[in-house]
Amino acid sequence: MRTPALIAAAAILLTACGTTEDGGGPAGTDTSAGPVTVTDSRGKAVELKAPAKRVVTLEWAETETVASLGVMPVGAADTAGYKTWNSVAPLDDSVKDVGKRNEPSVDAIVALDPDVVVMASGRDTTLVAQLEKYVPVVVTKASDAARNLDRLREDTRMIAKAVGRSAEGDKLLSDLDAGFAEGRKAVEAKGAAGTPFVVADGWLEGSTVNIRPFGKGSLVSDAAEQVGLKNAWTGQVDPQWGLGQTDVEGLTALTDPKTVLFYSASEEDVFTTGLAQNPVWQRLPFVASGEVHRLATGTWTFGGPRSVGHVADQLVRAVTA
Amino acid sequence: MLRTAAVTAGIAVLVAALSAVHLTQGTSATGVLDVLRAVLGQGDDGTLAVLAGSRVPRLLTALLLGVALGVAGAGMQSVARNPLASPDTLAVNAGAHLAVVAVAAFGVGLPTLPAGGVAFVGGLGAAAAVLGLSGGGSASPRLVLVGSAVALALQSLAILLLLLFEQETTGLFAWGSGSLTVSDLDATARMTPVVVAAVVALVAMGRSLDILALGDDNATVLGLKVRRTRVGAVLLTVALTGAAVTVAGPVGFVGLCAPVITRLLVPLAPGLGRHRVLLPVSGLVGVLLVLGADVLLRAALGSAEALRVPTGVTTTIVGAAVLIWLARRGRPTRGGTGRQAPAGRVGVAGSRRRLVAVGVALSALLVAAPVVGLLLGDRLVLLGDLVNWFAGRTGTALTFVLDQRLPRVLAATAAGAALAVSGCGIQSVSRNPLAEPGLLGITAGAGVGAITLITFVPLAGAWQVAGAAGLGAMAAFGLVYGLAWRSGLAPDRLVVIGIAMWSGGMALITLLIVTSDPWNTAKALTWLSGSTYGRTLEQVLPVALALAVLTPLLWARHRELDLHGLDEDTPRVLGVRVERSRLVILAAAGVLAATAVSAIGVVAFVGLVAPHLARSLVGGRHSRVIPVAAAIGAILVSAADTVGRTVIAPAQVPAGLVIALVGTPYFVLVLWRTREAR
Repeated sequence: MRTPALIAAAAILLTACGTTEDGGGPAGTDTSAGPVTVTDSRGKAVELKAPAKRVVTLEWAETETVASLGVMPVGAADTAGYKTWNSVAPLDDSVKDVGKRNEPSVDAIVALDPDVVVMASGRDTTLVAQLEKYVPVVVTKASDAARNLDRLREDTRMIAKAVGRSAEGDKLLSDLDAGFAEGRKAVEAKGAAGTPFVVADGWLEGSTVNIRPFGKGSLVSDAAEQVGLKNAWTGQVDPQWGLGQTDVEGLTALTDPKTVLFYSASEEDVFTTGLAQNPVWQRLPFVASGEVHRLATGTWTFGGPRSVGHVADQLVRAVTA
Repeated sequence: MLRTAAVTAGIAVLVAALSAVHLTQGTSATGVLDVLRAVLGQGDDGTLAVLAGSRVPRLLTALLLGVALGVAGAGMQSVARNPLASPDTLAVNAGAHLAVVAVAAFGVGLPTLPAGGVAFVGGLGAAAAVLGLSGGGSASPRLVLVGSAVALALQSLAILLLLLFEQETTGLFAWGSGSLTVSDLDATARMTPVVVAAVVALVAMGRSLDILALGDDNATVLGLKVRRTRVGAVLLTVALTGAAVTVAGPVGFVGLCAPVITRLLVPLAPGLGRHRVLLPVSGLVGVLLVLGADVLLRAALGSAEALRVPTGVTTTIVGAAVLIWLARRGRPTRGGTGRQAPAGRVGVAGSRRRLVAVGVALSALLVAAPVVGLLLGDRLVLLGDLVNWFAGRTGTALTFVLDQRLPRVLAATAAGAALAVSGCGIQSVSRNPLAEPGLLGITAGAGVGAITLITFVPLAGAWQVAGAAGLGAMAAFGLVYGLAWRSGLAPDRLVVIGIAMWSGGMALITLLIVTSDPWNTAKALTWLSGSTYGRTLEQVLPVALALAVLTPLLWARHRELDLHGLDEDTPRVLGVRVERSRLVILAAAGVLAATAVSAIGVVAFVGLVAPHLARSLVGGRHSRVIPVAAAIGAILVSAADTVGRTVIAPAQVPAGLVIALVGTPYFVLVLWRTREAR
């Protein structure tokens, strides 16, 4: 039993002789555009020799933002998941998967020879330190329920600067603001300003249902308030993402008959499968009035500027229909 | 008879009272007065809807769970003739849960009844394995040990699926600890007939179970078909557990505690001792436990916040305490002496040639495993590259890849060795071939320490996390040791208390994660399942240091280790200061395991499997077993880490889960070999 193992080991060692490098080292980056310095969410001034062309992103919002700026990342975390959950800025097939978002492969990142790695704060902190020995790392704030839209603007401008697309970044943000303004106008014209809304997602196991409302300060809530709607969910939420947790009974706190419900379900649709027959659900004001709206598949509720605009558009369309 | 009726009525009144309180608790504004009015037929539509759509389903689900688990536990304890048997300790919960998770992960949406069938099959498989491997249910704590180890393996598999299918199984993490947040009565209603039928059948078997309690021989003499009774009862109890898991996930330890509490009442009302009364009353007590846990949790945290905490977490923490109390109460010598030490295959030890061969082979593998670990990964590196790297001639990218791979390889190798040596010490002292640092609660303690720190100091550095893990491990170990100590250290008690600490620790970890950072379970799961991800050389240092100091120390005491393994008296007769020697060995083993956990997280089975493999290669003498086990442990974890980093690259499987996948079959083999002759 051990002899074959030994032989196998020896075989591996023998065939493993040789090298994988041609000795040339990575191709030098084009420095004609001059160096760029961005200050990231850690307050650290990250210096790049030139605006980054080869970008690796380790969280979906950052992937979306980079792609929206017209820069296709060379690598991104969980590209398959991104495809399911975020459709506003599709990735080319050329984008390499660098592993799961919680444990991206350092090997895969390095193999892509990136100019910069963009990741979200709150993920692995040891990873930042490790990667920085090799490649500049820009850490976004990712979410802040106290000021999520301003946070989004800062993250977007920072990423845009790092990839040398500040103009495109400003355009993304002005488009977003223009969309908000237009949406607000449409909502006001319809007399729907101040309409109470709830956004939620959820999941189902057996007959156990969990509902996750997006409270005040969550990105989608901020977007909805920009177009003149009013978040009706006042339950406790966490300080980073603005997310709460409740069950069907907890939704009875929503009593205003004008309330509109939006829900996110890119995979399983909990709200129509798990709750449809529930007497509490059936009596909820938005169910009685038919104001239950499913966000389009691939609407990522934790995304970048385009995702936020996409959410706002859908909300406006629903309340002005 | 009268007293039995009085006690039963008392419990029923308590259940009714708790049910009433339960109905008034919830996340909506519907309060006591609204419910009262509704009961009196004057409720408004809103209250009635809340009752019908949320409160009553939750209450009925709690009732069903309590009855199913309470009766199942009582049945299992009777069949196994062991007060420690339960759906948890027989791995029935874990088996049913894994089956359900697997079905969810592979995207097969089954309606409730087939899902119940899946849970039943999973639970039955686990129960059959545990009962078969532990010799059909003798009175020894071995049953618990085997069951807990099998449960550990099954849970590892469930965690692996949760990790690989992160997005599909978000809710399963919390559900994995038992949740009452049902949206409708669908599952409960479908499972009720199963539960009712199984309870009725079990109660009908009451007389047979009474006779079975007299012992197999007596029962046979009295004309009972022992085998048929036993198989029938096991099937019924598994059906009950499977139904409970299908409805709400595994609710921990209700099946253990309910019958134990019921039996405590027997002196008050002797009639409770008969199964026809014992079974239903256990069911009632089970209801008390489930309802009580839910009511208390909601009262303490508020209904909205309590939603985050699965009911099973609360019951598990309570159950762990009961298990510890049971172990402390039990007679220490029962099953503790006269058991054979893990001897491996005798006759192997004498051959010098074999010893040399083993030594050479292991040395070669010990060098090869880390080297292959450096070569393989998401990016393939060749030996020439390694040589260049050592000489400092590689380009930036390759230098970096190897620089970050080296600590991972070293961490895996060192932690594997440390766990193996720790396992040697623990198996010898506990005189139990199935004991290991994980099952003694040491690794769970380390996990609690680390997660606590991450929860309260999110930006804690690697050193601090390692330190907290170490502290947690030592605290858990101290507790296990202290609690097991009662004018002497009974090895069996040590193991059962360790298992309780393990379950309680895991429940605490779940509690910490779901209350503090419910949206980031993946990271915690990864950390808890043993990963070398993102290790730095700094983090390898503690375990390397512990290995360098404590391995020689343990090795120097190899004679004591040999003697401890024999029996209780021999070392004493030969002049060993038994208690002191035990404490030194266990402390060393504890430190080794803690530093290993701080380096790579929770890795089970290595501390169990490596010493066994070592004994089967070089015999039972610890002078040989310790170094050989250390080498095997190092090779195993290093190989597992390499495989985990390579097979599904760029995604990664934590090393601990690879070990669980590889270790489980081997472990079953060990169990088969060490099963007691009946």
